[in-house]
Amino acid sequence: MTTYTIPVGPLHVALEEPMYFKVEVTGETIASVDINAGHVHRGVEYLTMQRNFYQNITLTERLCSLCSNSHPTTYCTALEAIAGIRIPERARYLRVIADEIKRVASNLFNVAIMAHIIGFDSLFMHVMETREVAQDVKETIFGNRMDLGANRIGGVRYDLDAKNQDYLSQQMERMKADLAEIVDIYRNNSMIALRTVGVGVLPHDKALEYAVVGPVARGSGVAYDVRSKAPYAAYDRLDVPVVTETGGDVRARALVRLREVQVAIDLIQQCLRDMPDGPIAIGGLPRIPAGEAIAKSEAPRGELIYYLRTDGSDKPERLKWRVPSYMNWDALHVMMEGNRISDIPLIVNSIDPCISCTER
Amino acid sequence: MSAPMSDLFSLLFAILVFPGGLFALCFGLVLKGLDRRLAARLQRRVGPPLLQPLFDLVKLARKRTLVPDIACKPLFLAAPMAGCVSMALAAALIPIPGVYDPDPLLGDLLVVLYLLAVPAVALMIAGSASGSSYGAIGFSREMALMLAYEGPLLMVLATVAVKTGLAQGGFVTFSLSEIVRYQQEHGAYLADPWMWPAVLAFLAFFPANLGIAPFDIPEAESEVLEGPLLEYSGPPLGLFKVMSALKAVVVLSLGVVLFFPTAPDGAAGLLVHLLKLAVLSLAGVTVLRTAIGRMRIDQAVLFYLKWPEALAIAGLAAVLALA
Repeated sequence: MTTYTIPVGPLHVALEEPMYFKVEVTGETIASVDINAGHVHRGVEYLTMQRNFYQNITLTERLCSLCSNSHPTTYCTALEAIAGIRIPERARYLRVIADEIKRVASNLFNVAIMAHIIGFDSLFMHVMETREVAQDVKETIFGNRMDLGANRIGGVRYDLDAKNQDYLSQQMERMKADLAEIVDIYRNNSMIALRTVGVGVLPHDKALEYAVVGPVARGSGVAYDVRSKAPYAAYDRLDVPVVTETGGDVRARALVRLREVQVAIDLIQQCLRDMPDGPIAIGGLPRIPAGEAIAKSEAPRGELIYYLRTDGSDKPERLKWRVPSYMNWDALHVMMEGNRISDIPLIVNSIDPCISCTER
Repeated sequence: MSAPMSDLFSLLFAILVFPGGLFALCFGLVLKGLDRRLAARLQRRVGPPLLQPLFDLVKLARKRTLVPDIACKPLFLAAPMAGCVSMALAAALIPIPGVYDPDPLLGDLLVVLYLLAVPAVALMIAGSASGSSYGAIGFSREMALMLAYEGPLLMVLATVAVKTGLAQGGFVTFSLSEIVRYQQEHGAYLADPWMWPAVLAFLAFFPANLGIAPFDIPEAESEVLEGPLLEYSGPPLGLFKVMSALKAVVVLSLGVVLFFPTAPDGAAGLLVHLLKLAVLSLAGVTVLRTAIGRMRIDQAVLFYLKWPEALAIAGLAAVLALA
């Protein structure tokens, strides 16, 4: 059979962001993949060095919509490490809550898109309806549906009063029943199994070799989670189970994401239970001395690393970050080969690529 | 109305106005609108207005016709027309029990079988003529799917033809009017358990032919960007929509005529017929497509070569054995 090339992207309905895959196919089977990135480079890293530390909190939040809270959280953690700031206890918990509510929305979004790609639109609508609860929570507590604006140097910018705490725990309770049903559908529905089991397999050894992170790693049985390996914010005070699946295929990754939503809800409830009273941030605008620091966090897509070097001025000398999608997308080579054309969007979606973070 | 009409005018009327052409199109669009409404309600959405498919057609009709540079222009434009014409013809070939009897001059069940293949062929030609590689994938998928479902369809039609023919003392009859008449006198085939395998095989056939989940593989939007339709816009795309509306009516009518044509005469018969189509469409198309995702092409082909094929063979064997 002859091999021919089909272009997937840079604009494709099933890809949420521009990314170009040059796919060589033999019949309906994928022979090889060439990944071409760089369509949405905006020069944000350079831009951060032109702005002061406080402006950069806003800028990093706007890197990407789905992990918009992970970036400023990690950036602020790096700054606090350089300045030697210990943030108030209550602020630690509030950072966890903001992080986890974003994780709930982000993971549900990805899993919903998976249903859409296999043409199961009713399930897509059902998952998005459940996600809407998380969106309502964000809007009520933070005033926005996507960018929370929760972080500042030395703490957070929002507080939960008794009324909002009640509302939050009520909404989390409300999601639980729906979530249990959704997990059951993704685990047991035969139509989902037909399209996702054994598709886009990343074996355990390849997962280690490619050093994938986040749900992609945990779907292949690698129990790596920054929240438990190198706890930040209040994660060392909370019980954070690491969710893993062993399949290494598209369904395993979806199941990891769904179960992490359940863990996230549990974490939010733990926070609401354990959160002490007190200030939410240190007062004033701290001076940042010269120094360098690395901060890590577990974004919805996996490990996010910030490197920051300062020279005593009010601007970063160098700010660089490594996003989870950068580690994950190379593993697409392993996942795609030998699969069918119809599975390309499904496999790409299963690593939940965030192009706007990766190419900034 | 059931008297044979042989002059050219009444033939044209049957093809262009009733029951083919305009009438089938209007009803097809209403079915599509109902389908979208019900699907929306099943997914807890509001859904579009009932006449949205018509609005879409009007919108498309007013747009420019764009043909890609690398497309083969005559084929690219002829494909949707061929599809529409074939379906208007087919609609005129299928009787409406108690209301309309097709002129034998037009053709019989065998002609319907051939005409039913035309839309799929039109889509294949459209896909390959457009010059897009997604169109080419759509082409190969459409062909694979067609090869898989034509077998069971052929056997289902043969089952009904043989059953009616044997009952009438011959061997086969390909006249749809005869098939309707026999069932109106002796009861619908749907009531005969020996015909159920054939009924099931037919029910399995039409999702693939109508291009709905789980067999909307050639035109899968999220996989191959609607495949053959990718490069179409404006009036030619509108013609494809007309084709699919007509096809829905033709395929559903065929099902009703083959297995459950019992209906009163006159206007009541027409109403009963349309009601049957609507119920079959909502139960068989809408509920199915909202309850299920899409298969892969290899899985779909394998499915057709297994179950509907086996059912259709069993149905035909049952009819032959009982004779």
